[in-house]
This record gives sequence, structure tokens and C-alpha cells, in this order.
Amino acid sequence: MYRYDEFDAALVRERVEEFRDQVERRASGALTEDEFKPLRLMNGVYLQLHAYMLRVAVPYGVMNGGQMRKLAHIARTYDKGYGHFTTRCNIQYNWPALTDLPAILSDLAEVEMHAIQTSGNCIRNTTTDVFAGAADDEVEDPRPWCEVIRQWSTIHPEFSFLPRKFKIAVVASQKDRAAIRTHDVGLQIVKGADGGTAFRVFVGGGQGRLPHIGQEIAPAVPGHELLAYLTAIIRAWNLLGRRDNIHKARIKILVASLGIDAFREEVDRHFATLRQEALQVPAEELARIQAYFAAPAFADLPRQSAAFDRAVLADPDFARFSRNNVRRHKQVGYASVIISLKPLDGVPGDITDAQMEVVADLAERYSFDEVRAAYEQNLVLPHVRLDDTPALWRELLATGLGTPNADLVTDIIACPGLDYCSLANARSIPVAQALSKRLADLDWQEKVGPVRINMSGCINACGHHHVGHIGVLGVDRKGEEYYQITVGGSPDEQAALGEIVGRSLPADEVAPAIQRALDRYLEVRIEGERFIDTVRRLGADPFRDAIYAHEFANA
Amino acid sequence: MKLITANRLSDGRVIYVGEDASVVEDIASAALFDGDAADAALIAAASRPATFVNPYLVEVTGHTPSGRDRLKETIRSAGPTVGNSLRHHETA
Ligand code: HEM
Ligand code: SF4
Repeated sequence: MYRYDEFDAALVRERVEEFRDQVERRASGALTEDEFKPLRLMNGVYLQLHAYMLRVAVPYGVMNGGQMRKLAHIARTYDKGYGHFTTRCNIQYNWPALTDLPAILSDLAEVEMHAIQTSGNCIRNTTTDVFAGAADDEVEDPRPWCEVIRQWSTIHPEFSFLPRKFKIAVVASQKDRAAIRTHDVGLQIVKGADGGTAFRVFVGGGQGRLPHIGQEIAPAVPGHELLAYLTAIIRAWNLLGRRDNIHKARIKILVASLGIDAFREEVDRHFATLRQEALQVPAEELARIQAYFAAPAFADLPRQSAAFDRAVLADPDFARFSRNNVRRHKQVGYASVIISLKPLDGVPGDITDAQMEVVADLAERYSFDEVRAAYEQNLVLPHVRLDDTPALWRELLATGLGTPNADLVTDIIACPGLDYCSLANARSIPVAQALSKRLADLDWQEKVGPVRINMSGCINACGHHHVGHIGVLGVDRKGEEYYQITVGGSPDEQAALGEIVGRSLPADEVAPAIQRALDRYLEVRIEGERFIDTVRRLGADPFRDAIYAHEFANA
Repeated sequence: MKLITANRLSDGRVIYVGEDASVVEDIASAALFDGDAADAALIAAASRPATFVNPYLVEVTGHTPSGRDRLKETIRSAGPTVGNSLRHHETA
């Protein structure tokens, strides 16, 4: 894990003190809300329906036990005893008081955390594959590159006042586990012509009101030129991007309107000069950062784990957990374990302070002191001995964290919606809960297999509804909550936007409609075909018919 | 009828203008205004920025939100409809 140097630590401390002063001036009335708002947003502080909301950055989703404990401490001391993990791999607190925020940021600084650039028109927290450094299919560990991007982008003078927010995601495998094509820039690590690290670059992706899938702009930018290339992209957009209309200020709009080829020319023009300048990633610096991410001291273990095999045979519940929540690891004898934050009837992404303490403890004992935040609003212990998985599972179960539903239909992504968010048109959490209850039968869930259901309470798409295999979008119809359903979206290497199937449904019809769509899939799928593949083969029509079937029945 | 709501500066919590320009947390205790009186009361609330952040008018029938933002104002007044569903794990 990366450790702050004295400059990082001093920078974060200074920012905390600066914000403390700003909060005091606001509290005393010296600053008006209009004056204060841009300052608080620079520190990840929003004002939501019921209270202030603080969004804490978790750089590329990586935490250690001490950091998790500090997050628990904050939830307990300053909030209502829980936090909410988001699709941006950040954690949000829904109830802090303004006057406590400086103390919270100061606590965070103690464990090298902060809320800088979690909001505003700047380069946001870079995200990556939750299995980075553990996946058996990665070209190399993407986290050092995320850290390079973080150091370069933090309080970057040229890019602190961009036309809009800017999001970067990095993966290092063919499989895209970070939805890179839905980001402003998506980076895929590949082998360059010289055998060294290179980046396949996608640009102009994004969700929100006008969703776009990112397009390839470069097949293999050499690693040492990554920052020059990123600078060229963001500079081109910063100069040409529209600032007159907030909805058109994103790079996706610029790329779509210029066309990818014209945009590439624009970027190449900047790149030609930038690559001559001192913006190279120095090999020593990269090596220094990579050293922080060196693989932990894995033991030499046999391929088979007798303890694991015994537990699978002895306990069908553990067998189920191992099928769904335990993933292959590149190191023999190890696995990555997904901690589902989607218990039956729960709020997707929510976790209590007590649960955070347990996760911290488990990370320290079983996973070389590492825990990850996944964009699916789950947590992952990346490096667990197969031998330890039965014991780990029992502890998770005892804490309410053992739900064996990773990637299944109840592993629902949902934004806070109208229960917390001032921009929402409708609630999303209760709809997710209703679905979770209706589809709870785990045998049935496993029969259906992997299906990504994503929900947002408004068109901003914080819940990634556009790229859900099934997407649910809350809309307001004269003060009533309605939900538009999409089918066929996909966040991965075959990224696609879902197709709207028809008119929107009232809240209580959403779960039954989705169940009918899934039942239809079970009827029409061919052996071994995933839901999304069936949709790709047959199109949305059979599912549309199923979703609206009750109308024909009632007619 | 209308009432005036805002977020409280210190903690962001939902507050209302009560009788005699007091600050109340319960929508049932909010003062109700008609027509011009509502606008005047809004201006008065806005002139107390150390308490009221972003004050605005809400249409109500009795003390129940009724306007375009009926649902949002109902959730603001009663809290999230999902409660703090997590609490039970700690006692489990
Ligand atoms: C509760 C306070 C929140 C506010 C005020 C807020 C605001 C917004 C807005 C205005 C957008 C539209 C951006 C655009 O169209 O360019 C957006 C997009 C987004 N937000 Fe949020 N959001 C909130 C919470 C969240 C949460 C909880 C998550 C994660 C669960 C999240 C993740 C995202 C993502 C992934 C997008 C899509 C951006 C894109 O791909 O272009 N936000 N948010
Ligand atoms: S999608 Fe809309 S409702 Fe949901 S968190 Fe984002 S802004 Fe709020």
C-alpha cells in the first residue's frame, strides 16, 4: 500500500486547517452560503435533504485495517453509526454536522485519507479493478499507475477548474472489472511493442443525462508517456469543451460532436509538444511507487486446500459462499473473498461501524491488512488463504456480512435516491429492497446466474442504471414515483447502454416485472448462456413482453 | 397554504419557521402563511443566514406537503423511508 511522504502529509494537513478556518467563518456568518459552497465542495461536503454529506476518497478503492477502523470511528463518533460505499469506491457519511467536519477531516488525515477532489470540476478519484494485484489474468498490477495518476492529478493547477468533473479508471486485464468505457478516460494496461507497459486509451465515456460508451483513441501509449497523453486529452477538452451548458460540458459531448478522429488529432497536437517536455513518468519514481505495491509475503501453498475442500463437502452453505463470493487468485493456495454489502432487504453499500471494525480485523488477520472497495458497492479481501476461507466465512456470517450473492440478481447497485439525495426524482433503495426480498431464494438466484441490476433515482446515473443488464431509473410523474426499465446494458469489455423497453412503471410493479423478465430468460436461454448473452442473441423484445405481460393478462 | 423550510447551518438538519419566527424541527409545529405573508416570512428567514441555509416555501394542506415536491418534502420531514436499517446487526 502506498505511504504518504512528508509532502503528502503536510499538504493534507494544510488543507484540513484551511477548511477549519472556512467552516469557522461560515459558522460565524462571515461567509455566505454562496461563498462557502464552492469551498465545501472542494472538501467533498454536500448539503443533502436531511443533513450535510461527506464523501471520503478511497484512492483506487484500497484500504488497510487501520483506515477502515478510522472510518468506523467516524461513523460512530460523528454520524449515525454507519457509512455508505458508492459506485465511485468512495465512502459517504449522510449525517455529519458542519461543525464536526474539520475534526473528521483531521481524523482522516491521521490515516492518510481525505476528501479532496471527491466533488467539483476536477479529476476525481481514480478507480480500478477491485482484484488488482490479485487477479490471475492481469498484465501487471494497475495500482501503481493509479497512484501515479493520483499524484499527478491532485490539486493539479491546470486541471482544478475544468468544464466539469473528470473520471479516470484503469484495468490491467482483458476483462473489464472497472467499467472503464463509462469513464471520461478509460485505461487498459497492455504490452507495448517493446514488451513494456503501454495503455490502450478510451475516451468520452460517461453516464448521466447523455450517456456514451468510451471510444478507443490510442491502442498503446507507452507507460512513461502516460501523463503527457492524459494531459493532452484533458487540455484539449479544457480548451474546447463547452462551458455554456452544464449538460454539454463533459468530454463525452465534445468527443461525440467532433468525432473521435478529429478529437484524436487535437490530442495528438498537444501530445507532440507535451511528450518533449519533462512530463515523463521517471523510471525511478515508478519503481519507488511499485515497491509499495509489492506482492505480500505469500506462503508456498499446495494447489488444493484440504480445509477448503472439507468445508465445501461438509457444509452446503459454505459451498454456496465459495461458489459465489470466492474468486481465483494468481497465487497458488490463495483466493479473493467478496464481502457482500447487499444483505436481504438491506441498503446496498451501507455498513455499520461495528461491521467495519470486524472487516478491519479480518483484513489484518486473513488478508495481509488489505481490503478493497468495489464499484458494485461491496468490499473485497484480496489475499486470503484458501485454508482460511471457512473460518473467515463463519466470522462474516456472524456479522451479517456473509450473504453469498456476489454478481447474482440481489447484488443490486442502487444510489441513495430520494431517501437522501436532493437531486432525486424517486427513491431507489426501497425498490432495491423489494426486489431483494422478492428474489431472495438463493437456489433460484444461482439458477438464474450472474445478472447486474442497477438503479438510479434520477438521470444523473450514480447507480449506473444505463449499463445494468437490467437498469431501473426513477422518474417523477406529477409528484408520483415511476420507474423506467432498460434491458441489455453492460459495463464490461462489451460495454453497451441498455434499451428502454417501454413506459415507466409504478414502484410496486417493478420487482414483479423484473421477476417476469428473469423467468422469461430461464425459458428461452440455451444451455450455459448468461442473461446478458440471451439478451444479445434475442434482443429486448421477449423481455419487454414479459415486463408488460400483466397488462395483456388483465386486458 | 405555505410554510418555510431550510437546512440548519450548524448540522444541516431540516428546520422550519415556527410561530413568532421561532425555529422548529417538526413540520407539525411550522407556522402557516398565506400569499404575501409567505413571501415576507421567506425574506425574513433569508435574512438569518446563521440559522437558515437555503430557505424556501413549501405548499401544504394542513401541515402535509402537497405541492410538486410533495414526496421530497414528506421524506425531508419524516426522515429516510428506509430508516437506519443496519442497526439491528449490532444487537444480533
Ligand atoms: C448524494 C449526493 C450525490 C449527488 C448530489 C450527485 C450528483 C451527481 C450528478 C449531478 C451527476 C451527473 C453528472 C453528469 O451528468 O455529468 C452524478 C453522476 C454520477 N454520480 Fe453522483 N451524486 C451523488 C451521489 C452519488 C453516489 C452515492 C454515487 C455512487 C453510488 C455517485 C456516483 C456517480 C456516478 C457513477 C455518476 C455517473 C457519472 C458519469 O458516468 O458521467 N454519486 N452525480
Ligand atoms: S442518481 Fe440522482 S438520485 Fe441517485 S444519487 Fe445520483 S443524483 Fe442522487
